[in-house]
Amino acid sequence: MNKELEHSFVTNLEQNQNIVHKVCRIYTSDSDSHNDLFQEITIQLWKAYPKFRGDAKFSTWMYRVALNTAITLYRRSKRSIKTSDLDAINFRIKAEEYDDQVEQQLKLMYAAVKQLNDIEKALVFLYLEDKSYKEIADTMGISEVNARVKMNRVKTKLKKILNP
Amino acid sequence: MDELELLKKDWKKQEDVLPKLSYNQIYQMILKKSSSIVRWIFIISILEFVLWASIDIIFRLNEMQAEVEKMDMGSFSMITSIISYSILVFFITRFYINYRKIKATDSTKVLMENILKTRRTVKRYIWANISLFTFIMITTTGYLLFFTEEYQSRSVEDQVPVWVIVVTTLLVTSAFIGFIILFYRLIYGILTRRLKKNYKELEKLEL
Repeated sequence: MNKELEHSFVTNLEQNQNIVHKVCRIYTSDSDSHNDLFQEITIQLWKAYPKFRGDAKFSTWMYRVALNTAITLYRRSKRSIKTSDLDAINFRIKAEEYDDQVEQQLKLMYAAVKQLNDIEKALVFLYLEDKSYKEIADTMGISEVNARVKMNRVKTKLKKILNP
Repeated sequence: MDELELLKKDWKKQEDVLPKLSYNQIYQMILKKSSSIVRWIFIISILEFVLWASIDIIFRLNEMQAEVEKMDMGSFSMITSIISYSILVFFITRFYINYRKIKATDSTKVLMENILKTRRTVKRYIWANISLFTFIMITTTGYLLFFTEEYQSRSVEDQVPVWVIVVTTLLVTSAFIGFIILFYRLIYGILTRRLKKNYKELEKLEL
C-alpha cells in the first residue's frame, strides 16, 4: 500500500516538478537554497499526499503546498538572503552589457521581482502562471477584490523599482 | 503593464532551462526529514512543557519539600501542584489540537493563523506558569514573615528587617521572571519573525 502511494506520488511529482522549480526560482537565488527549498516542498507535498483525493488536478493542488512552504514553512538561512541581494546587483550590472533592449528589460524585471516581499512574490508568481484572480484569492486566503487591488499595487511597485 | 506581460511570455520559455530531477532523486527526498518552522515550533514547545513540568518534580525530589512540610505548608504545596498540573494538561491538550490543525494544503492565511495560534498556546502556558510562580513566591514569603513562629519569636536583634526580606524576594522574583521573558522572546522572535511579517502583510491586504 505504502509502496504504491510512494510510486504514484514520485511519478506525479516527477512529471510536474517544473511548478516546484519555478517557485524555488522566485524565492531563492543560488542553487544550494534552490535545492534546499525543493527538498522541503517535496516533504510537505508528500506529507499532505495521503489526503489528496484527486478531485483537483495534481498540479493545481501543488501550487498551494509549494507556495505555503516557500512563504511560511521553509526556514530560510541568513546566508541565502545576503546572496539574493548580491544577485540582484549582479543582474543589473550584467544587464547593462546587453545590446538587446528586450533582453535587458527582462533581466531588470527579474531583478525587480526578487526585491518584492514574500507575499508580493507569491502574487506575481501566480499571475505569471496565468492563474485567475479567483484562484489567486483562494490560494492566499484573501478576497478576490483584494487580490486584484494588491496585484495592481505590486505592478506599481515594480514600476517604481524599475524607474526610480 | 507592458513589462509584466513581457515577463509572462518569457516565463513560459523558462521551463526549458529548469533543472530536471530523476525519479530516484525525488524518491530520496521523501525519505528525508522536514526542517520546517512547524517542526521546530513543535520541538521547542515540547521542551518548554518538559522544562516547566520538571521544575515541580525537581522541587519535590529536593529537600525543599520537607522544609515546606515543616512549615505547615503541605496542603498549600499540594494545591499549587494540582493547579500547576491542571495548567499543564489543559495547555498540552490545546497545543495538540492546534498543532493537528496545521496543514500545508490550507490557504496561506489560514495556515499562518494556525501556526501562530499553536505558538500562542505555548506563550500562554509560559505566562500562566510565571503568574503561578510569582503568586507562590509572594504568598510563601508573606506566610513566613507573618504567620510562622520561627520568625515572630526571634529576638528583635536577630530579626532581619521585614523590608529587607520583602525587597529581596521581589528582586529575586523579578530577576527570574525577567530572565525567562528575555530568553523566551529570543526563541519566539527567531522562530516567528518572518512568519509574523508575512502575516501582517497579508492582513494589510484585507483593509
